[in-house]
Amino acid sequence: MKTLSRGNFKAAWKSVRRNRGRSFLTMLGIIIGVASVVSVVSIGEGVKRQVTMQINHVGSDLITVRAGQLSTSANGRLSVLSGVHVSGSLSDKDLSSVRQTATGATVVPLAVVGGAVTGEHGAYQDGPVIATSTNLPSVLNQSTAFGTFFTGDDDQNNVAVLGAQAARRMFDEEVPLGHTFGFRGKEFMVRGVLNDFTTTPLSTDVDFNNAIYIPYAMGQQLTDNSTLPYEILVKPADASKADKTVDAIRSGLLKNHGDSSDFSVLKQSQTQATTDGVLSLLTELIAGAAAISLLVGGIGIMNITLVSVTERMHEVGIRKAVGATNRQILNEFMAEAVVLSVGGGVIGIIIAGIIDVVLRLTTTLAPVMQWQAVVIAAGISILIGVVFGSAPALKAARKDPITALRGE
Amino acid sequence: MPVIEIKDVSKLYGFGDATTLALDEVDLVIEEGEFVAIMGPSGCGKSTLMNLIGLLDRPTHGDYHLNGRKVSRLRPNHAAKIRRDTIGFIFQSFNLLPKLTALENVALPLTYKNISLTKRLKMASNILERVGMKDREYYLPSQLSGGQVQCAAIARALVNNPKLIIADEPTGNLDSTGSRLVMELLSEVHRMGNTILFVTHNPELTRYATRVVYMHDGTIVQDEQTAIGQVASTAKKALYKTAPTSEEDDLAGVSALMKAVPSTPSKRTSKPTAKKNRKPNKTTKKAKAKR
Repeated sequence: MKTLSRGNFKAAWKSVRRNRGRSFLTMLGIIIGVASVVSVVSIGEGVKRQVTMQINHVGSDLITVRAGQLSTSANGRLSVLSGVHVSGSLSDKDLSSVRQTATGATVVPLAVVGGAVTGEHGAYQDGPVIATSTNLPSVLNQSTAFGTFFTGDDDQNNVAVLGAQAARRMFDEEVPLGHTFGFRGKEFMVRGVLNDFTTTPLSTDVDFNNAIYIPYAMGQQLTDNSTLPYEILVKPADASKADKTVDAIRSGLLKNHGDSSDFSVLKQSQTQATTDGVLSLLTELIAGAAAISLLVGGIGIMNITLVSVTERMHEVGIRKAVGATNRQILNEFMAEAVVLSVGGGVIGIIIAGIIDVVLRLTTTLAPVMQWQAVVIAAGISILIGVVFGSAPALKAARKDPITALRGE
Repeated sequence: MPVIEIKDVSKLYGFGDATTLALDEVDLVIEEGEFVAIMGPSGCGKSTLMNLIGLLDRPTHGDYHLNGRKVSRLRPNHAAKIRRDTIGFIFQSFNLLPKLTALENVALPLTYKNISLTKRLKMASNILERVGMKDREYYLPSQLSGGQVQCAAIARALVNNPKLIIADEPTGNLDSTGSRLVMELLSEVHRMGNTILFVTHNPELTRYATRVVYMHDGTIVQDEQTAIGQVASTAKKALYKTAPTSEEDDLAGVSALMKAVPSTPSKRTSKPTAKKNRKPNKTTKKAKAKR
């Protein structure tokens, strides 16, 4: 008899059902809290998995050279401020340095060329024009859906390859091969269309699916060599040489930049650690904010238990008069608080499940509900019931039978 | 061995100037099998005495032995268990839970004894049959007449088979038919060997009692044995031989019934301290009445 019995819960369930409207409003705080915590955590986890999938697709030995430094601190979390605000740029000199140092590797520069694109249906503004080299598809493990990617012979030709999304938007066709568009006063002919890139939600990368690709030399020619690569992709010939290549590139670039490391050379595995860090931080932040509503919900439960205790003071008196001990009274009210909070928790988890399904159907996000998050949410809701129910329940339990019988 | 043995029990409410003496060194011994009626004007401490005897309340001073066991300083949980097992309490306002059926109400004390649900309901059903409410088991209190509700309350008091039944004005909210129903039931319970204490304002009802105790201002002023079927002599005086309230009494706020009760304690030797205590007490009570 030391613990809550089944009878307590049955009675509590009955009482909760009797005041259905009030009970639902009380649960609302817990419902919102649990639903938002669980779905935020599962969205975060889903994005993490998508990023991992993409990295595995590209290959974990791909090396990315970027301007600016993204540093990861000792505990593995990204220090966002120092990462984002350090400026710097890559130059053509850097590109040739990378080409020299990374022996035997495939080097692909990526540069955004500014300027308006005029397609058959007017201006196209959804994606950038990226000047890159012929090896981009092989480095990213990407194939063309139609036509071919440009080759080394195309450096002086006005040819372009479109991302799948760009093809659809610019020409309203799946296969716009041979169509032309205007860019910086020249006419470019569509040579090929790439397959869809795996989606990269929340990524800071340029959206490859909306981009138009032109040969790197062509891009330089259009801008009088003023276009600078924002990123250089390096794929070592041999995955085992990746670390060595990274070191070689770094020391080569350090020389160019006068020993200041305002650039970063990252392997995909490191990139993953970085994005994971950012995502974890974001997830924790939002989940933390959502958890506040759990606290508020708990206070709601405390409030309603208090009301219930006051309303039923006379009943408490009667029960005590016929021989209920303090603990038995305590259990009755505790059971009610726990039923409210667990009910809210269960409904919250169900709603989080619905949110997951809706997000999967309507967006590119693929949230993954983790059982840990569900268990923790359920545990927290039980805890809330016990913690916030106990104060008013104790008040009822300790009431003197005579005082309670008089109804306050 | 007496069932109830109360010695020098006092009960005070409030602090300092506002202290009210509800019970003033009361002595009372009740033997097994007695059917005691307790009478007296409102506010004389009858209910306080009932609550103390029923272990719903604790005396400020004095000793209380129930079945030879000292119970005046029990912990609340311990008192609850004794209430559950040895005392049945009947209230003026019935005090059934309005949302439970008669059957569930009667089974309530058994809930706190860890008896299984089916057994509980069976026991409750048996008791309800005994009080003649078998066909109204599934009625809610609001669907029953006052007398029937009180019968269900008596069934609840009886369900744990307690030796002692305490009824605080059980007929106070009932009409004469309901009163008779309830009192006949109580006297039947008495015939089965239970000790019963009941508070009443109605002198007629002393017919059922074997003993009548009169209280006034927190003390017992008279204690007489009566035969069942007879109205107690003091009560009879109040019933039939009441002089009309004189102008003087009216000014003093004293009713004829109050005058009919002898004001000097008959059994106990009066103590000077007790008398001293009583006087200021009266004034506070009058002040209360004015409010």
